[in-house]
Amino acid sequence: MRNTRVNLKNPLIAALLAYLIPGAGHWYQGRRFKATIYSVCILSLFIWGMILGNWQPVYSQLVYQTDRVTPQMEKKVPTTKFSFGYAAQFFNGAMALPALVQESRLRNEQVRIDHLDSELESDFIGMVSDFSGRGDELQIVTGTMIIAPVNPSGGEAVTGTLKASAADGKVVDYGLGGQIQLGREVFGSPRREIECRIVSVDGEELNIDKTLRGTISRGFLNWYQAPCDSQELDRLHGDLSRKFDIASVFTWIAGLLNLLAIWDAADGPAYGYGNEKPEDDEDDDEDAPKKP
Amino acid sequence: MDLTILTHAVPLTAIICLVYSNSRFELPERILRSALVMFIKTISFLGVLYAFLLWLSR
Repeated sequence: MRNTRVNLKNPLIAALLAYLIPGAGHWYQGRRFKATIYSVCILSLFIWGMILGNWQPVYSQLVYQTDRVTPQMEKKVPTTKFSFGYAAQFFNGAMALPALVQESRLRNEQVRIDHLDSELESDFIGMVSDFSGRGDELQIVTGTMIIAPVNPSGGEAVTGTLKASAADGKVVDYGLGGQIQLGREVFGSPRREIECRIVSVDGEELNIDKTLRGTISRGFLNWYQAPCDSQELDRLHGDLSRKFDIASVFTWIAGLLNLLAIWDAADGPAYGYGNEKPEDDEDDDEDAPKKP
Repeated sequence: MDLTILTHAVPLTAIICLVYSNSRFELPERILRSALVMFIKTISFLGVLYAFLLWLSR
């Protein structure tokens, strides 16, 4: 029952504001103390969870691998499943809404994995594969990649360089060429898959087939709260161990706590004002009012 | 046992108690008193539970 001692103003507007920003609904109603508690507690719990989980615990959909290619390299609309954790995270309001925007972007993106629009410079982590017929050789390399389309207006054929150091510390200049394969622009991983040919090593042209496979950086706005795949979740669990699970739980709890705040903004405090006469109070936990 | 993971439970419990009590009452004193009582009860319960599990895992 609505508490008549509290001025709720317009409860619908207050509930909407409380949903969008924890505490905003109470601030609108003039309940500043409660607004401060809600916003500080819920926002800090959500942000704490995001920091613990490398800003990746919130995603609305999990992408499934349906073909031999990885989800990042798949051209068609990916097969996804709803992430049940998002049902709780959704109530964090504006803080969790980017997940729905990213889901829409992922579904509507015109995927051109074999196309590069303009020059791209990024750090690179990956490996060089040598399929020369003498048995496959793999060498892990890290470095800086600069790659551009041969046609300035964009295309499949690319040219570029990779200044990389191998595991033994040796620095090598790879000349890049051939056709590019580039992972989706929007995906829930800070690393974007890339594949192209190596045409020269330290300025010397190659007559054997070498392929460069690995990942480059993906822009924050293209991975933050975007749907991810189980491979990315495995990587996060590998890197963060139980911290990622705790981070996810924190963001769920923050959302569920904001549900209490929304209810309070729309309907007032559940047990009353708080200074009712002692005979009106329940005596078991000092919280709930006594029924007549 | 990784104790750093367990330390997350204390501020998390405090936040849950504060927000829960905040949604039950309107007066700041009543909210804080109710949150404090709830926090002490919850932490005591968790402490007993942890001690029991620690004893079982010896």
